[in-house]
Amino acid sequence: MTAGAPREVILVGRDAPVWLAACVLQQALGTAGVKITVVELPSRLQAADVYATLPALEPLHTRLRIEESKLIGVTRGAFTLGKRFVDTSGSAPAFFHAYGSHGARIEQKEFLPCWLRARKLGLQVGLEDFCLTAAAAKQGRMLVPDSQIEAHGFTDYAYHLSAIAYSALLKFIALKRGVAAHQAREARAVLHADGAIAGVELEGDRRIDGDFFLDATGEEGQLLSALAVQRASWRDHFVADRVLAAHGASIHPVPVYSEVRAWADGWVALYPTQMSTHICVAYSSAFLSDETALQAAARVAGTALHGAAVRACEPGRRAVAWERNCVAIGQAACVFDPVHSVDLQAVQVGLVHLLHLFPVQADYGVERAEYNQNIRSAFERIRDFQCAHYLLNRFGNSSFWTRAREQVLSPELTHKIATFRARGDVAYYEDETFMIDDWQALLIGHGVIPESYDPAVERTSPEVTQRELGRLLSFIRAKVEEQPSHSDYLQTVCATTPRA
Amino acid sequence: MIKVVIVGGGSAGWMCAAGLVAVLPRSHYQVTLIESDEIGTVGVGEATLPALKDFNDLLGIDESNFMRETRATFKLGIEFRDWDLPGDRYVHPFGSFGQLWGGIEFQHHWMRARQRGLNPDRFEAYSCAIRACQRNAFEFPDSQFTRSTHYAYAYHFDATLYADYLRRWAIGRGVQRMEGQVTEVALHPESGNIATLTLKSGARIEGDLFIDCTGFRSLLLGQTLGSEWQDWSHWLPCDRALAVPCERSGDLTPYTRSTAQTGGWIWRIPLQHRTGNGYVFSSRFISEEDARETLLRQLDGRALAEPKLLRFRAGRRVHAWQRNCVGIGLASGFLEPLESTSIFLIQRAIQDLLRLMPVTGAADLADRRLSDEFNRGSDALYDRIRDFLILHYVANRRSGQPLWDHVRAQELPPSLRHKMRLFEVRGHVPYYKDGFFSRDSWLAVLFGQGLRPAAYDRMADGVPLAQLDAGMRELLDRIHAHVEQMRPHSEVIENYCSDVPAARQVASL
Repeated sequence: MTAGAPREVILVGRDAPVWLAACVLQQALGTAGVKITVVELPSRLQAADVYATLPALEPLHTRLRIEESKLIGVTRGAFTLGKRFVDTSGSAPAFFHAYGSHGARIEQKEFLPCWLRARKLGLQVGLEDFCLTAAAAKQGRMLVPDSQIEAHGFTDYAYHLSAIAYSALLKFIALKRGVAAHQAREARAVLHADGAIAGVELEGDRRIDGDFFLDATGEEGQLLSALAVQRASWRDHFVADRVLAAHGASIHPVPVYSEVRAWADGWVALYPTQMSTHICVAYSSAFLSDETALQAAARVAGTALHGAAVRACEPGRRAVAWERNCVAIGQAACVFDPVHSVDLQAVQVGLVHLLHLFPVQADYGVERAEYNQNIRSAFERIRDFQCAHYLLNRFGNSSFWTRAREQVLSPELTHKIATFRARGDVAYYEDETFMIDDWQALLIGHGVIPESYDPAVERTSPEVTQRELGRLLSFIRAKVEEQPSHSDYLQTVCATTPRA
Repeated sequence: MIKVVIVGGGSAGWMCAAGLVAVLPRSHYQVTLIESDEIGTVGVGEATLPALKDFNDLLGIDESNFMRETRATFKLGIEFRDWDLPGDRYVHPFGSFGQLWGGIEFQHHWMRARQRGLNPDRFEAYSCAIRACQRNAFEFPDSQFTRSTHYAYAYHFDATLYADYLRRWAIGRGVQRMEGQVTEVALHPESGNIATLTLKSGARIEGDLFIDCTGFRSLLLGQTLGSEWQDWSHWLPCDRALAVPCERSGDLTPYTRSTAQTGGWIWRIPLQHRTGNGYVFSSRFISEEDARETLLRQLDGRALAEPKLLRFRAGRRVHAWQRNCVGIGLASGFLEPLESTSIFLIQRAIQDLLRLMPVTGAADLADRRLSDEFNRGSDALYDRIRDFLILHYVANRRSGQPLWDHVRAQELPPSLRHKMRLFEVRGHVPYYKDGFFSRDSWLAVLFGQGLRPAAYDRMADGVPLAQLDAGMRELLDRIHAHVEQMRPHSEVIENYCSDVPAARQVASL
């Protein structure tokens, strides 16, 4: 490290993003003499808010030494192996996007083309039936990898966590590990003459100075706004502008996946935890009032809803996430559409990139340029995944879904869908968050059946293919039966930790 | 049935023919290759990258047999001499540097060890492959290797013999070879796709998909379809090479050598039966006569032929796949062989083509959706290799030499300038999902050409200093012990793939 590298880092924000950032920075840079201070603003969380996470969170927790037993025990959360998408109009079959691979190679050939060919020869079994992770989820079982499963393919899992409980846990950990914190109702950036941030002014004439800042204030991005960073709207890409969160009755046994149900005016997601089912509803104010949405959501979710709270959703990205000496994390950098619940993932992506580019001297223009470029492409590829979900819907006559089919696509997504339709090949870009298996599940699930497949699979005889497919199905059936039920697994995991 | 017609029979043509028959179902594809004995191939000694082993494995080729037939030797890296300043040497190895501690890359720990007075050895000492190169040692890598001793290997071989080898292999598996020169290319009047080729003999050959392996002539892709050429010669001004084989002398090095010259650089590629040499130069900055004289003076054995002149230009076709024609090899682009990428570029193009191959019954054999994806991959690969090559020419202190001064004065591709800055500021090296080159390769050349980061990643401070000190020492011991167990390269070659191992062994008793 050379002279002038930031030492006093001030994190301004609220809820899980600011505390996750505090934990990550403290752990990674504490030994380098970087002091982490949090200015905590009032929470905006509602009891019904949930973090339906993606699989990458678990390794981050491991790195942060956050024990899973504690996480699940304290938050009364649940595991999830994926998402099931249901079109309630029945115009398209339901499908699973599970966090695991499909099938296994047959004579060294990728599985998807083998499946496509078998399908052409009359196979009736769906792609997701060859996904061990999806099969376990459907049976209400967790998937605990053994050496056979690891040799077979890839499997992963994520969590459903009450947002309030998870944020409280992160705060507890951050404070315990020596992060300094100030509570404030409001924080206002004070700029140096050169335009960089000098500190933040809090009510009651308090002022906290630092040399580097994180803006985790949420969508208004208070610090970035003080630095005049513009926001580009993604309204052309997304129809939903209202998001409703509510509690529904808990489901027994607790499902080990979430379900996203499309109805005429939007979609309703059910995220089960041990305490309740968190309900998330997305719709457009152009077609539906909040009141009607609540009624419709209860009907679609099949449960009475309580504790409902509605907020506006204006997807869009800041022109840059890092400006001068301030990095925006989470919604301050980018507001995503609620589908696929990527919010916490976006926080994590922002933090991981920041760690690898954290300034080592006073001039860090090159790191900033690299960061902004990486974050932009990472966020846009996440957006593509979400866009594909709307674009490819086959819901019948409905203003919401018709508009969704007419949304603007990025050139990358256009190319990706075209290539997949032509060949079953996923055009994979730099900085992708979702993996090839995720894209395959999404595209096939939405009915994009490739017109052709890798011709090399024709060299395998149909008999061998058929035998191997049968063997895979038997393996999956047998392995699923060995797995613990989600309820049992939750009990085992929670039993290892004292209740908070 | 799809009829694939390959025009041109050098390394590109025969690698392509072999790849297609090895992978595609013969009931659906018919592969024809047209070549002419009257047209010479570039065919000088070739140095390759480790990926070639994957290609040979795809074909199911027996390694020792292939090496015997092509007079091949092993290659663990490239030695660069005199690139920064006269007398300098460094090796770009096909292997890792050091290991990760706390998830942080090795160069940061090394920088920290230096700054904190732990007196670590030179950066290159922490590479198993480099140490093996320095000792002319070789051993087959073990899949159980940890990162600290990880390396891969490539080959030096006679490219003409490799093409011959693949020709026999491919013809034995159903590729139809036609002798002749293409004199006319007819396009389909409506689609504009290539429809028919006419040979000098008058024979007409129809096809569905045409693969242009005609080298710099780019007969189909460039001359007929007019795929636009993007010129990079302002960054890479070398436009000639003089190639000459000489007698083998001294130890058999398990690496290619590249020695910087005032007008370019000289390669040295050790084969079993001779050593390949060549001077890649820029005709703007040195005359052919001077280049020839310099080359011959620097040979380490008697010249076995007259130096042969090759002409080229750095750049690439904007669309390597256009309509129903795919350019592979020099027909689609050229980057000087400084980092042995020529055969690698051919291989990658073949693999991408196989992945995106038009199929029987397709409505359109010139499906833009497939060619767009092919070209996207090809663009990224060419751009990144280009940056890596330019790095050698700009990161050095060879001032007062017109060629070198010229390149250093050019405005760099922004992508390269950015990479160099990130390294200089903080030892950061790029990571690509599937591109070239790897982080370790960038490290080798960035350090080798004399760049030094001003600071290291602050997360490296998480490792206690005493632990780092012990770890670095232990690492060095492990690398030394590992290389100690290797055999001399020449001994491995003799036992594994030489023509005369038994005779020599008897004689030496």
